[in-house]
Amino acid sequence: MAMTANEARSPGLLSDLGLGRGVAMAALVLVAVALQSTLLARVTLLGVIPQLVLVVVVCLAFLDGERVGVVVGFAGGLLQDLLLPQSIIGLTALVYTLIGYGVGSLRHFAPSESVWSPVFAVAIASAIAELSYAMLAIILGQEWVSLSFTARVTGLVVLYDTLLTPFAFPLLRRVSARFRPEKVYRW
Amino acid sequence: MLLAFLALSIVVITLDFRQDSTGPLDRAKDISSAIVTPIQRGITAIFSPVGNFFSSLRDLSNLQEENTELRTQAEVMEQRVKEADAILVENERLLELQGLDESYPTMDRLSARVIGRPPANYKWAVTIDKGSADGIESDMAVIDPDGLVGKVIRVDDNTATILLLIDPQANAKARIKGEAYAGAVGGNGASEPLTLAFIDTEADVEVGDEVVTAGYDQGVYPPNIPIGTVSSVESQEAALEQEIDVEPYVDFTTLDFVQVILGSGKRDIAEGK
Repeated sequence: MAMTANEARSPGLLSDLGLGRGVAMAALVLVAVALQSTLLARVTLLGVIPQLVLVVVVCLAFLDGERVGVVVGFAGGLLQDLLLPQSIIGLTALVYTLIGYGVGSLRHFAPSESVWSPVFAVAIASAIAELSYAMLAIILGQEWVSLSFTARVTGLVVLYDTLLTPFAFPLLRRVSARFRPEKVYRW
Repeated sequence: MLLAFLALSIVVITLDFRQDSTGPLDRAKDISSAIVTPIQRGITAIFSPVGNFFSSLRDLSNLQEENTELRTQAEVMEQRVKEADAILVENERLLELQGLDESYPTMDRLSARVIGRPPANYKWAVTIDKGSADGIESDMAVIDPDGLVGKVIRVDDNTATILLLIDPQANAKARIKGEAYAGAVGGNGASEPLTLAFIDTEADVEVGDEVVTAGYDQGVYPPNIPIGTVSSVESQEAALEQEIDVEPYVDFTTLDFVQVILGSGKRDIAEGK
């Protein structure tokens, strides 16, 4: 079957991910969710749990672009939603999909060698994700805590996620590089 | 591609609003829980001993003093248990004679270990390592030695989810201990006091009053389970009810073990069971 010029320039989702890489990213998301709901749910910062899944989404989007960011954001957000009792399923998936796309699209504007770039990306993304989730949940009629509580949680999540990034990013970069599919050029 | 995944998210949200308890998303919840729970159990098993080791190192200097104090307490408690046993037997007989509900201290309980929490900051719940195979059902009340923890909202074969009383979606019918007027206690999130609502301005409520569950009117909690103490009372002139904050007895941040009251749960109010 003949490929169009556009398809030839823009590789598909499967070629972006690859089987080994897909499995590795699924494992990363699973471990992140499990850690966030066990160990990190105990090691809180003034009672606030860090959003490790979001850190994974932002770091992978930063490393591998918007396609990977969208897929990992949707999968990580949906898994998180499915584990939340009496919450709106799909809301975190929606927010993390947008975050994954945003970070992946804007990563070219960041200084590539700067160690602060992913940390800065996580900080901004955490603030946007927390506030967007709260706003959408309130709009969709979910019973919510006070706005001052939401502001406090957002501030602490930004701080905690930012502190986790220097540990998470090198690990995720290694996994990403290990499973990055080799580019095949066709003439 | 972004649009496809955004559309998919919106479809999922729509499905969630429309589905009942047996919809496709509920099955997806079962599957995701079945995948994540073993990993949660593994992480909890690995890190609990490490956490316990560090906390015991921290407490090492106080051990001798604590040991003596605990021995004294144990003797007092032993005496109280004997007295309480006698009172419970008498209480059971009286309740049976009067045809009243069984009180919660005499109900069968099942101890369970907390193995997970929701991976989010706006949902206060815990997952325990016992489920329907152990006799747990939805809506059963959950306590710990300090008081009311919450209720069961989801049961799988070997795990169950407890909605904590501090969650904004949780509430329990409650009253001031020893008084007739009842209201409803609701949560405001972690490290925030509970709110006791629907207590009219005529009621004499003071800071320090004890708040307990008020019984089966809402069909879930047995009466007289301790909830907390009143920490502030405000009454506006034109208001119909008082604004009452309650400091819960239970420390919801450090729950390791809880007890499910097996005899509790939704009741047929007309029949009282």
